[in-house]
Amino acid sequence: MADEKRITTAEKEHTLESLRRADHEMRLPAVAPAVPYPIEALVPEVRQQTPAVGQRATRSDGRLHGLGQTRYIDDLVFPGMLYARIKRANVASARIRSIDTSAAQAMPGVMAVLTGREIPVNSFGATLQDQPVLADERVFHAGDGVAAVAAVTEQIATEALEKITVEYEPLPAVFDPLEALKEDAPKVHPPHSNIYATKVIRKGDIEKGFAASDRIFEGLFRTQMVEHVSLEPHAAIADWDPNGRLTVWSTLGRITLGRADLARTLKLPMSRIHVIATIVGGNFGGKNEITQEPVLALLSKKAGRPVKGVFTRGEEFTSTTTRHPFIMDYKTGVTRDGRILARKVRLVLDGGAYCSFSETTLGKACILASGPYKIDNLFVEAFAVYTNKTMAGAMRGFGAPQTCFAYESHMDDIAAALGLDPLDIRLLNAFDEGSASPTGQVLQSVVVKQSLAKAAERFGWKEAGQ
Amino acid sequence: MKRRGRGIACMWYPVGYTVTANPSAAVVKMNEDGTATVLTGTVETGQGSLTVLGQIAAQELGIATDDVYVVSADTDATPADMGAIASRTTYVTGNAIRLAAGRAKAILFEVAAPLLGVKPDQLEARDRKIQVKGFPQRCLAIGEVANRAQVDMGQPAIGAASWNPPTVALDPETGQGKPFSTYVYATQIVEVDVDDETGEVEVLRIVAAHDCGTPINPMLVEGQVEGGISMGIGLALHEQILFDDAGRQVNPNLTNYIMPTSLDMPEIEVDIVESFDPTGPFGAKGVGEPTSVPTAAAILNAIHDAVGVRITTLPATADKVLAAIQVKRAGARPALPAA
Repeated sequence: MADEKRITTAEKEHTLESLRRADHEMRLPAVAPAVPYPIEALVPEVRQQTPAVGQRATRSDGRLHGLGQTRYIDDLVFPGMLYARIKRANVASARIRSIDTSAAQAMPGVMAVLTGREIPVNSFGATLQDQPVLADERVFHAGDGVAAVAAVTEQIATEALEKITVEYEPLPAVFDPLEALKEDAPKVHPPHSNIYATKVIRKGDIEKGFAASDRIFEGLFRTQMVEHVSLEPHAAIADWDPNGRLTVWSTLGRITLGRADLARTLKLPMSRIHVIATIVGGNFGGKNEITQEPVLALLSKKAGRPVKGVFTRGEEFTSTTTRHPFIMDYKTGVTRDGRILARKVRLVLDGGAYCSFSETTLGKACILASGPYKIDNLFVEAFAVYTNKTMAGAMRGFGAPQTCFAYESHMDDIAAALGLDPLDIRLLNAFDEGSASPTGQVLQSVVVKQSLAKAAERFGWKEAGQ
Repeated sequence: MKRRGRGIACMWYPVGYTVTANPSAAVVKMNEDGTATVLTGTVETGQGSLTVLGQIAAQELGIATDDVYVVSADTDATPADMGAIASRTTYVTGNAIRLAAGRAKAILFEVAAPLLGVKPDQLEARDRKIQVKGFPQRCLAIGEVANRAQVDMGQPAIGAASWNPPTVALDPETGQGKPFSTYVYATQIVEVDVDDETGEVEVLRIVAAHDCGTPINPMLVEGQVEGGISMGIGLALHEQILFDDAGRQVNPNLTNYIMPTSLDMPEIEVDIVESFDPTGPFGAKGVGEPTSVPTAAAILNAIHDAVGVRITTLPATADKVLAAIQVKRAGARPALPAA
């Protein structure tokens, strides 16, 4: 053919040679590259000094991080390992009529497919086991997983998700926590009430406290839903040995709880589960609970191969826990000189679709809601409410950043109205050593006044004046 | 025009969590050369906890940080631990490790006592030596004692212990009780510039005075404070997951979900407030979570100081701040912006 004539001999040789070389290189056994740094680590002097406590000792993992040698889950590869992806519902509230995975199953490279009905015990949760590992009968929020695929490459697994068809019957949904509180609101987890946790703290007599107050202040504050955004997304690998013992490498921050959840969802004795967490690339409360681990374990069991799953950044937002949005009502009675006599607080926590760590968040928020202040007459009530949104859970501060925003904004408003310096009104009301907390606990090692004084001095608060 | 403002916020925060028990267990094994291995079920999630836990074991054994290797995060190899949550690692796991190290040390004292001609309770472990209290020249190298314990006496120095913070369940009616073993305290003061034509807020400087009991490692305390502040700035000014009418997230990506970057970080001055908690390991409490608690409150108070508007819904985006400034200028009382 005319075209063929144009290819010179030299070009042909070149092509053949490169093919030979590629073939040769493919057959070479995998050899780890030479270590590019001295193995004999220089130990900083501070790590060699005694006594150890109080030393500015460098971190034991610092050199690994600095050299890029830390092995995160995504750096681990095992022979024959498959890659898993989870199909997300993308509808907030619906009954699942049917899931057809046959087309995905038939794709070349797809080695296993899983749906929620195949999970031995398809529920988990820190306090209430209200969260399915994969939604089976009903979808509670748009980030719910409905099916999972393990394939030889991540790309094939991702393509296979498109071939899974799910038929949904839309159900009423509720997204606003105040709406969800109403009697006639759609129930997120019928027949249960949308209010799934409540807490009350009562101390003294607030009516008397308000009656004795010179001034009464009120404030309403709201906060938003935020993500932890760890650098490393949720990642895990599951593998079984021939004795039917499961090993899971995971980014979990709580392996004791994680193993218990795996034992429960997979109906396995704990002695047959090995959880390894290695070094985790950021947690902030977002990696307290299992997510995809049981799914990977079951896909691995089906496929007879190790299976890895790494959440996309999108899944980190839509399908893992977040910080609770709060609605906070404050009412405070004070004397003319700024002493707090009574405070009433009402908190509504938007828990999203599942309880997760809401009870702990609710408890901490309630106890902390009045601030680090001596208040004899106090009433705090709080509710955690289901909505058909991404679930809220543990996040650095467990309800404290939200309530601190409210009680400290409120405090400044009171100070301004009374013509007091914001520092002075805090010093006037702050706990002392031995003060009683809102729960009646006698507090020890109390240094809130010292911290106020120290920060004010460093900042130059008084020098700057008003 | 840019207007300068300053805001203060203080807070308190419990160490550990409520509802269920909160135990940690630990094992400390002396090696024959006087170094040691710690087994803990907690997980290093970036905060430097393994370094701190190693320092606690080293302190109890009288050896250096680098003499201790910490094995963690493996359910086959390490004992139960409620994990890297609720600012509990230094306090709860630290107490368990200190107790376990103390038990290993007791074996070393039993072995060393007859060699030094004293009773075990007259000994102390310091500077890699087992020495007689008050007579530091009467001593044995800790490696020698550990080796004798194992090779001559057949009694390897190993200790195991667990610790659970003492709490009292809350009365369901009144909420009275002792939900946490101890608390930490902190104050942050913030200086901001607010542009009253755009509503944009720039955080210039944060002074953070934090109590953590004894700082086991002051450098890591400072690291926690700086990291916590960055999360606090995000909560105050930028971050927000948005949903459409059908309950689907609108911005589940780092293009449209705005987080503070290094360019948004102010000058941070960290002060560690002196305190000692007798219930913590060497007086330590914890510092992880509290660092991000007062930041947003202080920033919002600084915005109020700068331009006189009280933003009551987070985050205080430029749009929201500008709208509030315009309402104020129009002479109306600022209405609550919609959530």
